[in-house]
Amino acid sequence: MISDRRRVALGSLGGNLVLVALVVVGGVVYAAFGSSARDALITDLLINLVIVIGFQIFIGNTGVLSFGHLGIASLAAYVMALLAIPAARKSVLIPNAPWGIPDIEVDPLLATVIGIGVAVVVSALLAAVVARTSGLSATMITLAFLFVVRQVAENWKDLTNGAGNLSSVPRLDGNGWAIVGAVLAVFVAVSFRASKVGRLAVATREDELAAGAMGIDVFSPRFIAFVVSGAVVAVGGILRVQSLGSLGPSQFSFDFTILILAMLVVGGMRTVSGAIVGTAFITIGKEITRFLGDGPHFLGFEWPVVDGLPDLFLAGSLLVVLLLRPSGLLGEYDVGTFVAAQLSRSGRRSSGPAASAIASAIAPDHSDAVLRTNCLGVTFGGFTAVDSVTMSVEPGRIHGLIGPNGAGKTTLINVLTGVVEPTYGTVEIGGRELTGPPHSRARQGISRTFQNLRVFGALSVRENVAVADLVARQHRVDRAGPGVDALLELSGLTAMADRPASTLDYGNQRRLEIARAAALRPDFLLLDEPTSGMSEAESREMVDHVRRIATAVGAGVLVIDHDLGFITSICEHITVLDQGAVLAEGTPDEVQSDPRVIEAYLGTQGA
Amino acid sequence: MLAVDEVTTKYGALTALHAVSLHVNEGELVALVGPNGAGKTTLLSTVVGLLRPTGGTVRFDGRTINGLDPAALVAAGLALVPERRRIFKDLSVAENLRLAGVTAKAPDRKQRMEQMAELFPALHEKWDLSAGFLSGGQAQQLAVARALMCDPKLLLLDEPCLGLAPTMVDVIFDLLQRLRSQGRTVLVVEQQAQRVLGIADRGYVLRTGTVVAEGAGPELASRADLFETYVGGS
Amino acid sequence: MNTFVQNLIDGLGNGSTYALLAVGVSMLFGVMHLVNFAHGELLTVSAYVIYGLRSKDVSWWITVPMAILGAVALSVAIEFTAFRRVRTASAFTLLLTSFALEILSHAVWRIGVSSKPRRYATPEIAFKTFDLGPYRVEVWDVISIVVAVLCFVGTAIMLRKTLFGLSIRAASEDFDAARLMGVKANRVISGAFAFAGLLAGIAGALYLLRRGQADPRMGAEPLLKAVIAAIIGGLGSLKGAVVGGLALGVAEVYFRSFLPNDLQGLTDAFVFVLIAALFVVRPQGLFNVQTAERV
Repeated sequence: MISDRRRVALGSLGGNLVLVALVVVGGVVYAAFGSSARDALITDLLINLVIVIGFQIFIGNTGVLSFGHLGIASLAAYVMALLAIPAARKSVLIPNAPWGIPDIEVDPLLATVIGIGVAVVVSALLAAVVARTSGLSATMITLAFLFVVRQVAENWKDLTNGAGNLSSVPRLDGNGWAIVGAVLAVFVAVSFRASKVGRLAVATREDELAAGAMGIDVFSPRFIAFVVSGAVVAVGGILRVQSLGSLGPSQFSFDFTILILAMLVVGGMRTVSGAIVGTAFITIGKEITRFLGDGPHFLGFEWPVVDGLPDLFLAGSLLVVLLLRPSGLLGEYDVGTFVAAQLSRSGRRSSGPAASAIASAIAPDHSDAVLRTNCLGVTFGGFTAVDSVTMSVEPGRIHGLIGPNGAGKTTLINVLTGVVEPTYGTVEIGGRELTGPPHSRARQGISRTFQNLRVFGALSVRENVAVADLVARQHRVDRAGPGVDALLELSGLTAMADRPASTLDYGNQRRLEIARAAALRPDFLLLDEPTSGMSEAESREMVDHVRRIATAVGAGVLVIDHDLGFITSICEHITVLDQGAVLAEGTPDEVQSDPRVIEAYLGTQGA
Repeated sequence: MLAVDEVTTKYGALTALHAVSLHVNEGELVALVGPNGAGKTTLLSTVVGLLRPTGGTVRFDGRTINGLDPAALVAAGLALVPERRRIFKDLSVAENLRLAGVTAKAPDRKQRMEQMAELFPALHEKWDLSAGFLSGGQAQQLAVARALMCDPKLLLLDEPCLGLAPTMVDVIFDLLQRLRSQGRTVLVVEQQAQRVLGIADRGYVLRTGTVVAEGAGPELASRADLFETYVGGS
Repeated sequence: MNTFVQNLIDGLGNGSTYALLAVGVSMLFGVMHLVNFAHGELLTVSAYVIYGLRSKDVSWWITVPMAILGAVALSVAIEFTAFRRVRTASAFTLLLTSFALEILSHAVWRIGVSSKPRRYATPEIAFKTFDLGPYRVEVWDVISIVVAVLCFVGTAIMLRKTLFGLSIRAASEDFDAARLMGVKANRVISGAFAFAGLLAGIAGALYLLRRGQADPRMGAEPLLKAVIAAIIGGLGSLKGAVVGGLALGVAEVYFRSFLPNDLQGLTDAFVFVLIAALFVVRPQGLFNVQTAERV
């Protein structure tokens, strides 16, 4: 039996390869009716495709903009060229090159492999920096890298012959290698997106904070995506140099980077299909505008020569897409989804045994660890948000945390999950102190939901839960869990499992968030205002739902809510916070009848 | 003066307000209370134009104002003291006030700043200090003073007591009563429901995006049934 | 000692152009979190205005104000046609939009005028020198430094004393809160673009009177320097942008005089490596304007 995930991946591979084939056939037909210059166009298109897909692997899956990948390609191409150019030529071109390079002559294929190897190493070094930062900083570092590579290439004349270029690079004839490269690139990109790392990367792209809370370390998926992407772009760069037969510092310029990014953005950076469509669109558009700009006889007219028309087209289409459709022509669409849907229509498997049955069958015993805070305090500047809070949440129990707005509930959750460092005091589970950033807390047994929904919108419902399950399989091995299907079934989400999470209605998104947090097999589940925005009827349903899920994963629950009605009906034990400190504690009845609690909540007169 | 008619507001998938209606008459102090997440802040944000309602109308002084830019609403006479104050910490106290008078003519602005200095002596002492150095209570006073600089016909306050020590809460409640006795029209969202209803002319109770009760302030404050939902019970 | 002072004057002269541009870049980042790579195109438009008017023998006294006006007009036009539509978009989209505008500008000049440089005669004063004790000082360096200082003082006064300045500072800190006080979003943003355009126009005049030619891609390099300067100073900090610009100008001159000949061309590379290192050491310090997300 073939899994859904594999079916989508195969569909995507097949569909995108068909797309590439269409592009190639279109090019071949076009070339057949023109001069030999048009053959070069197909080669160019295919090589650009390799590079664009290479960029897509990083940018599309992580959402981080990189300008530096062509710097990596440039380095790889130089390594390849310096090794592969015949020694006789090198002694003329670069007689003073260091490390005995003028005497070395390596088989082009081996040189290519070495070039890619260097690209991997350099990518890894660069990624070690880039993956630690995000947003604008990451982009600026990659931009700086591109410029540095170019400047070194221009100025290290002994080695690179500077602007004089390195000619006589062994050439590849025909389009065979370019086609192999393009197919390979599609294969790598599709496999990456379907792989474990790829899905984790997309999760970090969709919501960095939620990804951390699900135990995903932002660093490693970004790092791996960067290296894989660097290698693919390097392949494209090397192919380009081998098809031209020469290499110079200006070949992998900033302008070329912009061309590649325009292709990616115009087509839609989130899918491989977007990369292919964008490459084809920009290439065709540039070809047409180049033709028009050359002053052709056309439609009975003598057209004027317009220099720069292709650039105008490039900038114009990029701008139009950014302003009107920032997700690109295809947006989230991938032909793979379409193909997979066709495949599944014919081979839809019957659903297995009722998942709820599975769930109850394997519902694990709850862990016996206690979640404790020891005299925990947080101050921001002079403001005390949490004031010497000591509380413990018993395993397998549902514990409520309430208090008026500004009482410090959210700050307390943030401390438990590692978003905020406490000023003093500790947090421990089963006697072990909890430390480290959010993702490591999640792996130590605390998972959470967010007050303002943070589902991974572009991932399917199933993928949302599966991503957390992946982390659990690696880091929560000592705990059993009900599994993805059972959790979806328990949450009433099975019917919509293949829909993107962003298309769900509010209540279902809430349940999805809880299912996702539960898939992490936590010792404790922290629910931050699970009924916020829900009607009373929905809130009442939520009571049973939380109980069911908690039993299924055997986790203790700490639920924060403003709604005392909800809290008292679901919790066995309640802690009340006010002004950052514990105001009262006890069973729902005790807490409800405590006059201090009533006063804190209602601000009775004459306080 | 302010009439909110069947207003619905959504955040993405969440419908935060379901056809909410309420009104504020000239010279009234109206309290809007309800549990956290009931949609109080959403309502105020919708009124001042930070959010666009998906249905219904907001009228102010007889004119439909939904969808207008917040800046235009300030000019029309609406000012909001936002939740968590949001004073400009890098600007001095005086600069905060001056900026808030951006819609006024220069002499008016000057005159109002003098009024604020009188009304808030604690702020006057720190006139040229960066607002980031103010204590919580002073910062809240600055937030109110800043809104008053707009000389609003209707002043909206969102949780003015949030995060304040009890003595400062008293100061803010004094201020509310003072504003009321000056004849200002005020709509206040407050968590200390019974206390604020005690001083309000009228009140509304909001719950999960709908108005569940309305009436004279003290009368609402004494209705125990409304607050069971706060403290559980039933 | 001789060369030290000489270099310092040269460096400050160059640096003042960078700093004027960097202040604009930084201000725009403050109000809308945009690193505007199209900002350099304002120099280009000024250059073509100068070329156009001077080829018709219009007096420099009219040409220079027109060149500055051209930069202001283009800056406002860019905001109105493009950035206004992506104001709330991600940093990613904003950045790419600015690059798209940059290439668009290059293409427009290539098509509208020519891809070849257009030359104009520089005024005599641009290369005059006078002797000050042991130093030979270029008059234009002195003028550049004086004008730049006047601009910085003017900017500081504007930010402290005028309502527009207060609006910019307030909007940089909390845009919505500023709107709630009656600050009009469109006005403050297009005002910031106009002001940044004015500074760029002045920087352009200082730079172009010595340059003597206009070409389509001329804006890219000075802008890159300005962005680096703004980053060194911390994006969003105007003081930082001034310091960053002057420091970069001086550093470049010193690098040139210290580095052996073979490595001369690597001046920029050194600067870039330095910047990247800075990012690694304190990424959040450089972008301190971004506030933490409320969880």
